[in-house]
Amino acid sequence: MGEEQAESYLYKLEAVLEEGRLLTVVVIAKTDERAFSSAENNLLRHTITPPRIKELSLVEKKPLGRQGVGYVVETSTFT
Amino acid sequence: MAERKQWKWAADPSLNKMEFTKLEKDGLDVIETIVNTYSKEGFASIESSDMDRFKWAGVYQQRPKDGHFMMRVRIPGGILSSEQARVLAKIAEIYGRDLVDVTTRQAVQFHWLTVESLADIFDRLASAGLSSFEACGDCPRQIMGNPLAGIDPHEVLDTRPIVAELEKFFLLNRDFSNLPRKYKISVSANIHNAAHAQINDLAFTPAKKVMAGEEVIGFHVWVGGGLSAKPYLAKQLDVFVRPEEVVKVTAGVTTLFRDFGYRQKRTHARLKFLVADWGPEKFTEQLLELVGELEPGGIDLTSGWNGGYFYGIHEQRQAGLYYAGLSVPVGRMNAGELNELARLADEYGDGTIGTCNTQNVLIRNIPEAKVAAFREEPMIVNRFKWQPNTFVGYAVSCTGTEYCNLAIVETKERMRSLAQYLDDTVVLETPLRIHMIGCPNSCGQRQIADIGLQGALVKTSNGMVEAFDIYVGGTLEEPQFNRKLNARITVDRLGPFLAQLVTLYKADRQEGEPYWRYVERVGLSHIQGQVDAILQPA
Ligand code: HEM
Ligand code: SF4
Repeated sequence: MGEEQAESYLYKLEAVLEEGRLLTVVVIAKTDERAFSSAENNLLRHTITPPRIKELSLVEKKPLGRQGVGYVVETSTFT
Repeated sequence: MAERKQWKWAADPSLNKMEFTKLEKDGLDVIETIVNTYSKEGFASIESSDMDRFKWAGVYQQRPKDGHFMMRVRIPGGILSSEQARVLAKIAEIYGRDLVDVTTRQAVQFHWLTVESLADIFDRLASAGLSSFEACGDCPRQIMGNPLAGIDPHEVLDTRPIVAELEKFFLLNRDFSNLPRKYKISVSANIHNAAHAQINDLAFTPAKKVMAGEEVIGFHVWVGGGLSAKPYLAKQLDVFVRPEEVVKVTAGVTTLFRDFGYRQKRTHARLKFLVADWGPEKFTEQLLELVGELEPGGIDLTSGWNGGYFYGIHEQRQAGLYYAGLSVPVGRMNAGELNELARLADEYGDGTIGTCNTQNVLIRNIPEAKVAAFREEPMIVNRFKWQPNTFVGYAVSCTGTEYCNLAIVETKERMRSLAQYLDDTVVLETPLRIHMIGCPNSCGQRQIADIGLQGALVKTSNGMVEAFDIYVGGTLEEPQFNRKLNARITVDRLGPFLAQLVTLYKADRQEGEPYWRYVERVGLSHIQGQVDAILQPA
């Protein structure tokens, strides 16, 4: 199946920065590869000094078929 | 089409979109449309709203979405006949590219089905008294049970008639085909919690009570368990249920879920949210209002947890008869192997096969005189072993990117080869349960594993690499979900990493101490220290 026909997903990625901070990035993309490049672009756009990314990982994807699909980014733990 | 129900929530404008779809046309009505229209006119004819309803027929689009489906077949209580097994094998052979998966809720799954084949598959299943209906969707799913029911030395009563009654009551019952969300029931009278009570929406576990001078064997009731991204352990209600009351109580709990469960947001619709909100006391009050008085709880007969494992050849409750618990690595077999299992069940057992929530199988009722020959069967020696090696024997895996649209990484073949590697590398004589999942939904029940592995993709200078987050210390013995370590291990290092982690445990543990208990004793930060030391560049 061609990449262009693939459905879009809402991706959740995690960027661990050299200084130890964690940034969570949410992007729409049609493939995992593009999710990574969009995430990197968003990280660049978000910062004046380019962030020194130690590790960038994709941790979840959700199909965009339904309105309201999203993520909660936890900054402290909830039950 | 059957008469439409006038549901009391129908007028609520704040319902989620799926609720409107369900009100427009009941999920069960899609079965007729599949048989009469879609299976004749093909994939392109499927209306998008009906694609959601396909789940009520037990069918789901697989990855990539190119017209192929996965189908889940109910195996009530995890017991099927050799005849049924042969029908399943035939379906896999003709339509399913020779693939049969046993799931973590004792169902059977096919892949690669086309819509054109579905009408014939439904017929074939029905001819054997099987069904895929309501195996997915917002309805009562496959009923989990004790695959040893009726022969189990560790059960306090035979739950087969109860499971059969529940199945008859719920299957295609339009009073309960429109629940707020999926609904999972487990019934087991095995004292070792064979059917994972705490992670089901509704569960029955063995109990006894002296009433009017007479000791009665029955059940305690648990509600609101579930895994997925926000796992929650079921809560026990203060009631004692006689065996003949199980269906009534189940209907009551299901009615509460149907009428009071949350339908505004799908992500807040499982029974666990209602239970967390009401608490067990209010839930019990409401239940008693519906079903009438029940006795308060009695004495729990559950002791410990067998993890759903039955390996070995063991004496049954019936003297002179044996059952054989066999390993099916990560639950996957082909049609020929399933046929062979059916033959073994006929030739050595009573023609029944058990499916286990550990993705394994068992053969029931083997007379003592046949045990020796059974052990020598090539299939038993080479493939479905009754004494599997530790890691292969205790490995569980979800479907992963091979067929699942939500998956981030490949899991099934990876878990199989990882377990093989660990068996080749570390000798461990005691069980260590490793569960692998490809995304947070947790179909492979990552949270209850000694070591849970959850997939992620990591960007490296060589492109995307699959990796796993590590969780440790899950169990249902003293119910506790496993907890995340700070470590995302790329797959090239996963095997050696786990081998080292397990070796440290092996050296440090006390006599017979399972991994989850070890984690509890030494503490999470101690394990994190082990991980940091392993990952330290040399
Ligand atoms: C391949 C297609 C599959 C898809 C798309 C899928 C999807 C999902 C989703 C979305 C959830 C989360 C449900 C929730 O939020 O309540 C879930 C949970 C679950 N699924 Fe699957 N699944 C698939 C296959 C399987 C298989 C093969 C198994 C068994 C091996 C399985 C067993 C489970 C279990 C045990 C849970 C956790 C249930 C709970 O929360 O109580 N699923 N699945
Ligand atoms: S856990 Fe995720 S990846 Fe695995 S089968 Fe379930 S939905 Fe798919």
